[in-house]
Amino acid sequence: MAKKRLRTNLRLTRFLSNEMTQAELGERIGVTRQTIAAIEAGKYSPTLETAFRLADVFKKPLEEIFQWETESRPKRE
Amino acid sequence: MPIKEQFARVWLITMLVTYFAYFSAVVVVGETTPLNQIGMFAATAVVQVIVIGIASAVMEIRHKEGPKTDERDQLIDQRATRVAYHLLICAMIVVGCLMPFNNSGWKIFHAAVFSIALAEIVRYGLIVSMYRRGWDG
Repeated sequence: MAKKRLRTNLRLTRFLSNEMTQAELGERIGVTRQTIAAIEAGKYSPTLETAFRLADVFKKPLEEIFQWETESRPKRE
Repeated sequence: MPIKEQFARVWLITMLVTYFAYFSAVVVVGETTPLNQIGMFAATAVVQVIVIGIASAVMEIRHKEGPKTDERDQLIDQRATRVAYHLLICAMIVVGCLMPFNNSGWKIFHAAVFSIALAEIVRYGLIVSMYRRGWDG
């Protein structure tokens, strides 16, 4: 089975939304700034509830912010 | 750095330093009076309480605003605690069920303290590692 992982364009979405800060976004959905940073860096997959809250803040469907993609591996020369 | 990670780092360093000193003293001093044994353990506990108390107060002042913990902190804590719990159970089976047949008195006490300290060190070590390494589970 192909290995899949959650990808996000949260950083871009945040930037396009009047350059909202991580702290501001975290405050709006009830998580810390560090958790927003971890989600953006792909170090943490948020719970479904937090993912929906994030989508709700930007008034976008969930799949526009999070994608379930096959993990790309570097090609061997 | 999240407040929970800072706290875990302080706990980890404090536990490593104080219990290294404690068990070094136990090995160097060897068999001694019960009062000395309890005194060494009490000194270790008091140092821990003082360091953690000061660290908690400082962190509370520095992180006055905003949410202090969230789902990520809780999940990391749960995962680390689960691993440490199983480690502690295994160690306690050895200390409580096997050691009494071959050892007695302070050896069992020190083994129990060592088990608890080890479980705590593993717990805080895992917390720090999960914050640094990331965890997408």
